[in-house]
Amino acid sequence: MFFHIYLDRNLQLHPRHFGPHLRDKLIAKLIQDVEGTCSGRHGFVVAVTAVETIGSGLIRDGTGFVTFPVKYQCVVFRPFKGEILESVVTMVNKMGFFAEAGPVQIFVSNHLIPDDMAFQSDDVPNYKTSDGSVRIQKDSEVRLKIVGTRVDATEIFCIGTIKDDFLGLIGDPGGAT
Amino acid sequence: MSIEPFRRLVKLVARAFYDEEIPAKGPNRSKSDKSDNKGIAVVVLDALTRRQWVKEEDLAKKLRLHPKQLRRTLRVLEEEMLIIREHRKETVKGAKVYNAAVAAVSDGTTGEKEGEEKLKLHTHSYCCLDYAQVYDIVRYRIHRARKKIKDELEDRNAIQEYVCPNAGCGRRYSALDATRLINQLTELFHCENCDAELVEEADKFAVPAPEGDGEDNARRRRREKLRELLEKLDKQLQPLHIQLERVKALVPPDFGTLVQWEKRAISSVRAGGESNEDAAKAAHGQGSTGPPMPYMGETKVDVVMAGAAKNEGKDETAAGPTKVLPPWMIREGMNLNAKQRGEALEGEWNEDNGGTSNADIKPAEEDKEAMQKKLQEEYVRAYYAAILASQQNASQPPKSENNEMSYVEKDVSTEAAAEVSAGVVVKDEGEDDDDVEWEDAPAAEVPIAGSGHDENLEDTEGAPVEGQGDYAGEADEDDIEWE
Repeated sequence: MFFHIYLDRNLQLHPRHFGPHLRDKLIAKLIQDVEGTCSGRHGFVVAVTAVETIGSGLIRDGTGFVTFPVKYQCVVFRPFKGEILESVVTMVNKMGFFAEAGPVQIFVSNHLIPDDMAFQSDDVPNYKTSDGSVRIQKDSEVRLKIVGTRVDATEIFCIGTIKDDFLGLIGDPGGAT
Repeated sequence: MSIEPFRRLVKLVARAFYDEEIPAKGPNRSKSDKSDNKGIAVVVLDALTRRQWVKEEDLAKKLRLHPKQLRRTLRVLEEEMLIIREHRKETVKGAKVYNAAVAAVSDGTTGEKEGEEKLKLHTHSYCCLDYAQVYDIVRYRIHRARKKIKDELEDRNAIQEYVCPNAGCGRRYSALDATRLINQLTELFHCENCDAELVEEADKFAVPAPEGDGEDNARRRRREKLRELLEKLDKQLQPLHIQLERVKALVPPDFGTLVQWEKRAISSVRAGGESNEDAAKAAHGQGSTGPPMPYMGETKVDVVMAGAAKNEGKDETAAGPTKVLPPWMIREGMNLNAKQRGEALEGEWNEDNGGTSNADIKPAEEDKEAMQKKLQEEYVRAYYAAILASQQNASQPPKSENNEMSYVEKDVSTEAAAEVSAGVVVKDEGEDDDDVEWEDAPAAEVPIAGSGHDENLEDTEGAPVEGQGDYAGEADEDDIEWE
């Protein structure tokens, strides 16, 4: 799920950036530091949308670096249990398959794949139904439901299932959905 | 006592969960494969409900089990957290402390073990039920069982687990570790520790695989099976649930550690000097702070029952003497008061039939010999009384005839006549004679049918004969004929 939230961060800026474009430099650095990171608390930071306030800088003793307390607005993505996501399959093996939904990795074990789909160890490993109408392989697009999450301080990993109504393959690799 | 519901709980648990053969866990599995220990846990647990701390050797002896077998069972039960065990090295003295404690708690009939335990230092194991823990464990176990089925029923246990097949490793991973486990070359899961390929853990219920009639159908059937299973579980554990509910409000009996228990048991007896059960109660009382209301209620009920029992006992003892005593009392009184000997004798005889039986049942310990004598005397008296009665009965009607006829035909008169005469004489004469005769009787009693009897009769006749010489003469003649 996506959230638009305020966050705080202390940015350290090298003295060489001090000048007329200090603010721009600060924002650029903020975006570079923050976007794409993951915190267990807030999830993945997708984008910084606005910088609210930049406090007065504090010169660090001995280094010359200046610390600015920055308050900013950003979009975060935090997967929850029970959430439905659309994802792209990255790897298929006999234990199940891995998929990615943006920054988050999801594993779907073969228990959570419908019983009528069986693993095929062809040159492109895949899961497919006996009549061949549905076939999940690398780069397939899959709609899945998150049934479990593991949240570390800097990492979020999910377990998904496609064993439910309206879940499963939504697009073949490379094909337009 | 508050221990009773807990005892029942343990018994129920034993029957619910340990009825079957206990699978030995861990490395000693192969050893116990052969032995049939089915149901042993039930026996052991039942036995433990009747004890507090008990030495395992003693328990083995009491249960007629091999100590090793018992120990194996106990180890399993310990792993299941039902019992607590304690091992300690002890000399004879230590054993004495234990024995003293046992004697204090039980009725003191435990065998003295001092002789067997010499000065060597032995390691002894003791075990005891831990009721508080049993309660928790059982609740947890039921909760887990239900949760497992329910999760499966609702497809909630989505997170697959993987196990390292390597026996030495045996690590478990969940699907959440998948990113770390994946091996980029083989694209399979490998153990972090030993790099063996992981296998899925199959601890799902073995629901028979449906034969390909559609996914929905299969899933529905599986669900039905699980629901049945859950219902069955609930139904079969119903008594256990009830007992758990009942026990919930009670304070579980706590025997403490072995040392504490010993100290408490001994000290309570010394302090109280009261009956053993009270001592045990006191020990419990010390263990638990302020007993709750149900405890009190039950104790009260117990006391009431005990009181009732005592009253009954008193009634019995009160009624007893009145039943037992009268024959003796009455007989004594009759001996003194009786005027009519014949009637008195008859009455006495009847009484004696009842009286002797009572006397047989309740022999007075103080003088059995006197009793014996009395009985013999009574028997003799009763015997004579019976003879007399029969004589009278038989002779009364023909008596008048005999009186007339005896004059006419002397030779014809038979033993009947003789007896009649004897009977008449005896009856007619005073009580004094009778008394004399009776007292002689025991000595002469043995050859009843022989001459002694006749002589007695003669004697009795001899005294009163004077006026009726005919009678006497006839009697004598007849006697000779008799023999």
